[in-house]
Amino acid sequence: MSLRALRSYAFTIAGIAIGVAGLVALGAMSERIVRFIEGGDRFVLGQISVAGRGMGMGTGFTAGGLLPAGAIRKIAGVEGVAGVQAQVMLPLNPSTSQFMTLTQELVLGLDLSVPMPNRHYRALPVHAGRFLRAGERRAAVVGAAFAASRGLTVGSRLPLEGTPFEVVGVLDRMLTAPDRFVIVPIEDARAQWLAKDRLLQTLLASGAAALTAADLNTGAAVGWRDGEDPDAVARRILAQVPGVNVQLPGELSSLLRSSTAFFSALLAGMGALALVIGGLSLANTMAAAVFERIRDFGVKRALGATDWALGREVLAESLAVTLAGGLAGILLAIALGLAVDARAARAGQQLFHFSARLLGGALAFSVALGALAAAYATWRVVSLPPAEAIRRGA
Amino acid sequence: MLRATGLVKSFRAPSGAPVPVLAGAELTAKGGEFVVIGGPSGSGKSTLLNVIGLLEDAEGGEVWYESERVSALGRNAKSRARARSVGFVFQSFLLLPALTALENVLLAARYAGRDGAAARRRARELLDELGVSHRTGHFPPQLSGGEQQRVAFCRAVLNDPPLLLADEPTGNLDEANGAVILAALRSRARAGAAVVLVSHRPDAAIGATAVFHLREGRLEP
Repeated sequence: MSLRALRSYAFTIAGIAIGVAGLVALGAMSERIVRFIEGGDRFVLGQISVAGRGMGMGTGFTAGGLLPAGAIRKIAGVEGVAGVQAQVMLPLNPSTSQFMTLTQELVLGLDLSVPMPNRHYRALPVHAGRFLRAGERRAAVVGAAFAASRGLTVGSRLPLEGTPFEVVGVLDRMLTAPDRFVIVPIEDARAQWLAKDRLLQTLLASGAAALTAADLNTGAAVGWRDGEDPDAVARRILAQVPGVNVQLPGELSSLLRSSTAFFSALLAGMGALALVIGGLSLANTMAAAVFERIRDFGVKRALGATDWALGREVLAESLAVTLAGGLAGILLAIALGLAVDARAARAGQQLFHFSARLLGGALAFSVALGALAAAYATWRVVSLPPAEAIRRGA
Repeated sequence: MLRATGLVKSFRAPSGAPVPVLAGAELTAKGGEFVVIGGPSGSGKSTLLNVIGLLEDAEGGEVWYESERVSALGRNAKSRARARSVGFVFQSFLLLPALTALENVLLAARYAGRDGAAARRRARELLDELGVSHRTGHFPPQLSGGEQQRVAFCRAVLNDPPLLLADEPTGNLDEANGAVILAALRSRARAGAAVVLVSHRPDAAIGATAVFHLREGRLEP
């Protein structure tokens, strides 16, 4: 189909573009929520999270208790365990209101002498700079949303409890919890914990507890050997190591899914709404474009066009028109999404996620639906005697 | 070339009552004949032309092209018969507005399976003969009524159809342009085509081999 012919369909293309833009924009918001849920699910299914037993508010996967070095050694000795990485997870801002949010900003201290045991995240994806190195101090890698909300880049200074940290890396946008993390060496995280927690300071100063720095862990990430059932390994840890809370990956995943059931239902509704609105708009526009040309089809029939010849022409035109409209709609939605996200990024938020599966799916959906609508309209048109088609189009 | 016998056709009035238009109309047109049909407005002349051109079906009667009973064919076979045997010239030109004059003419070749350089060359020759070769790249809205009808005539004769049907082709034209189209139709008849013309113009019958009037659904001399 020539550019000139496409120009003659400008209004149809614009109509389709608006329908597809609505479909893609709503879909991109759904994708954003899906990615958040999937990201969390993927993370918890990749490791066994162990925390010191406690009854505090807890942060992230912790339960407000200590996981001393002795417990970590015992976990490492449990059958089926492949690796244990001590961690300290703290709220960046320990005010009550921060605890109530889904996307809390966290300080995560990692024992860098041990490889990350999470099967799905052997390394966190770094967008700029690099990840932390073993033995390094006062260095931080920050999540994408955290960096964006504070204007941090590689080389920036980040004060934490009065101590300046150098940002050595910024993570890829993962659309899940690590986007709001500040990751530091575990030694620095322990110092942060001490600085934040008056109870811990008092306890250590009293000499009542025989603790060393290595005992100050809020939890540990545990990996399992190939072929092992992670839930079975988690149960073994719980049975063999006293004083720990163990999260079973399978159980946690189902808990996470049930707690996000509302969002899942919401995004399913949004997706259905997007398909109905976008689909109806597109099908209606395409069918109207064919019916508008009923006289032309009557003339072509009079000149000898068969059903097949006419159907082929209409199908080719509708494919070109819906493809053009679909692409324009996608570009429109992306432009709109980027503009909105540029504003939302100032608050560390991202509302849209234009995944390849969404864009490919929207394009395939629009082309298929456009072709279907055009085929239906063509069938109606070719069913008319040519003289009737010419009369109706006059 | 054309033989139509016992054609019966009626339309429904808004009240639902049938309104007879053709009531046993008979028409024969051989190659080289120039047949003119007159009659008052609403007498069914256009319907008769549509039926013998296979643009709509009659309720009774038969239409034959040479030895083939084309009225009995299916929808697509009728399309192929039209592409092969019939050229139409309509009162309102019926050019496709999104196509240039040349592309409109070539449309006839496309559905007859004669697309190609030869068809393009022939289309240019015809446009030249009708005096609109300077308008080949123009779109219908950019052409005058007379020019549009000349282009439509070129489209009708591009495939050299043995049957040429013209429904009031001068109805929307001025005197001079009307004369050009009538002359072109006569010329096709002289070249061997069977030409059936529906017209109100008194001068349309000049050179006709037969003149009929449609009265009460039948053709009378």
